[in-house]
Amino acid sequence: MAVSARRRRTGLAAWGFALPFTLLFAVFMLVPVASSLYMAFTDMQGKDLRTPWAVNFVGFDNFAAVLADPKFQQAAGNTLYFVGVAMPLTLGIALLLAVLLNSGLTWFRSVFRVGFYAPVVTSIVAVAVVWRFLLQPDFGLVNSGLGLFGIEGPRWLTDEVWAMPSLIMMATWRNVGYSMVILLAGLQGIPKDLYEASAIDGAGAVRQFRSITVPLLRPTILFCAVITGIGYLQFFEEPFVMTQGGPLGATNSVAYEIFNQFGFGNYGLSAAMSYVLFVAIVILSYLQFRLLRTEK
Amino acid sequence: MNRTPRLAVAATASTLTLALALTGCGRSDEAGTTTADSADSISEGPASGAVEVWAMGTEGELLPELAEQFEADNPDVTVNVTPVPWESSTEKINTAIATGEVPDVMQVGTTLMSGFVGLDGLAPTPEDIDSDAFFPGAWETTEVDGTSYGVPWYVESRVLYYRTDLAEDAGVEAPEDWAGLTDFAAGLQDAGADNGIALQTRGNSTALMYFPFYWQAGGEILDDAGEFTLDNEAQVKALDYYSSFMRDGLAPPVLVEDEKVQNFIDGKLGSFVSGPWERANLLTTAGDDFADKFGVVPLPADETTASFIGGSNLAVLADAENPDSAWKFVQFATDPAAQVDWFEISSDLPAVQSSWEDPALADDDAVAVYQGVLETARSTPAIPTWSEIEHELDLIIEQTIAGDLTPEEAAAKMQEAATSIGTGLD
Repeated sequence: MAVSARRRRTGLAAWGFALPFTLLFAVFMLVPVASSLYMAFTDMQGKDLRTPWAVNFVGFDNFAAVLADPKFQQAAGNTLYFVGVAMPLTLGIALLLAVLLNSGLTWFRSVFRVGFYAPVVTSIVAVAVVWRFLLQPDFGLVNSGLGLFGIEGPRWLTDEVWAMPSLIMMATWRNVGYSMVILLAGLQGIPKDLYEASAIDGAGAVRQFRSITVPLLRPTILFCAVITGIGYLQFFEEPFVMTQGGPLGATNSVAYEIFNQFGFGNYGLSAAMSYVLFVAIVILSYLQFRLLRTEK
Repeated sequence: MNRTPRLAVAATASTLTLALALTGCGRSDEAGTTTADSADSISEGPASGAVEVWAMGTEGELLPELAEQFEADNPDVTVNVTPVPWESSTEKINTAIATGEVPDVMQVGTTLMSGFVGLDGLAPTPEDIDSDAFFPGAWETTEVDGTSYGVPWYVESRVLYYRTDLAEDAGVEAPEDWAGLTDFAAGLQDAGADNGIALQTRGNSTALMYFPFYWQAGGEILDDAGEFTLDNEAQVKALDYYSSFMRDGLAPPVLVEDEKVQNFIDGKLGSFVSGPWERANLLTTAGDDFADKFGVVPLPADETTASFIGGSNLAVLADAENPDSAWKFVQFATDPAAQVDWFEISSDLPAVQSSWEDPALADDDAVAVYQGVLETARSTPAIPTWSEIEHELDLIIEQTIAGDLTPEEAAAKMQEAATSIGTGLD
């Protein structure tokens, strides 16, 4: 029949078009993912790089070892501490800034938008140099500033208690601009007449924020929360450039520990850690969807 | 670029390894035969063909200048130097070794040797190269499990930098033993420094800074049988001594590395331990006049004198395309005369002992102090797992300084951590 022949031809053409992508996807996405998953169940070490078929299957041993490792537990605790504080802080400040920037005052909007967004596009290495300088205990600007008020600032990056807050401060400063820009776009998508109508009905700014802004901005907030959450669970660059996980492991993160173990050639173990982190990310994202999804 | 032969070599190599694995000659069968035979000898006659060299950091930038001499002596050879940043060198080399796409010669940091040998990446050193010409501590860094896999190229060691003006004010002499160092630091502090001495307290390489003290107390990391011997009197004594400086307020409880040099220049810090590169660093920051304000002396002795020996070796890759000319290049670069030339080009200290008799080194007081230090300087063990063990030890030393562990607990923990990681040798 003519119809089915044409359908077959269309089907072939479709596969023809999809093939290059499918192939690339398979080679560069599926194969690495599958092999790292396989790696997580083997005792693969650095010396097995040239003979990856000679590794032993060890079942869930790596996962058991990872979960029982006090250093991984500390890293997991640190990561949760970081996500738990830095995520609400980042989203809160980003929303506040977005609302402020959206409330008239057009002349300074673009200046501030650039100002707050600049850290997002700046290299972490440059950022690290500046922050290390700011946070230096004796010569740093922060402690010099505190000194003017007679406060002796802590040894920010080398104090067990203050190291994580220092990194949270830095990460928030660095990431707030990204969410801010997305939220600002979301705010500008809310029809002005809703505000006008509610104003006629006598709603004040607070009421408008709670009943119009937040509900209509919900999908945008959800997006920002998920993206920030995923990024923060993979907390790596700040400890890598600023503290090397110290002092006393206080800023060691799961991603940094994965990096270290890969460096030591413990491939099986670090692959297992990666999947533990992956599961944590899936769970966090699921929870965020459950909490923030727009009700129908 | 001649990519094809390289790919062909890589393909042959991987097919070979595949064939070996399929016929049941996997890695597990290699146990007991790790002592590979050294390559017999380097052939006579001039080198030829292309020699690909990877070098890191400053060495990568300056090496072409030395290579020109080699090219002049061997008209048929071209040396291509690729500079590799230190930060990404380990990953890059690991990848190269795994894929077989390797250079012929490579600069390898002394503490990284065993890792690459663990990947079967380096070729054994030919017998022609005379190990006695080098500082013993430097030669040891080329040896993994009894076989040498490279040749020492340049060395560095740790010494004590101190403010001569403060020492004069305090009326203290440069220290020669442990008690002397404590008194010296206290004296510098009395003469107006905020801290008499600075010792590394945390982060990467804390263990490298600490281990000279352990060796001075008579400790060994591995015994003759190759077992870890970290839990002993010497360890407890050294940990207690090392942390006493922080505990007694002679050294900053947590050292901020970024501020060390500036504090020293400002006279807030009386002394610190560092390597040869720090001299140039001080003079660039403070100006050349600062040279008469500080002195350099060997680290103090306890049971024995010991410092840490670092630096780089030159190694030929197991998969090198042009191994014969590669070894000739290595032989050239580590010959006494070329070592002196290299010192003049790069300020890197020669690994060959006889090069130090050259006036270029012998007449320079700041350099000459290293010669004696290097004779007894030691390296950390060349075992494939060392970087992982060092990472654990860094943390244990940090905890001891912070007072979270007693020296006894720390010594036990060091032994436990090292044993559980193992040496990585079959």
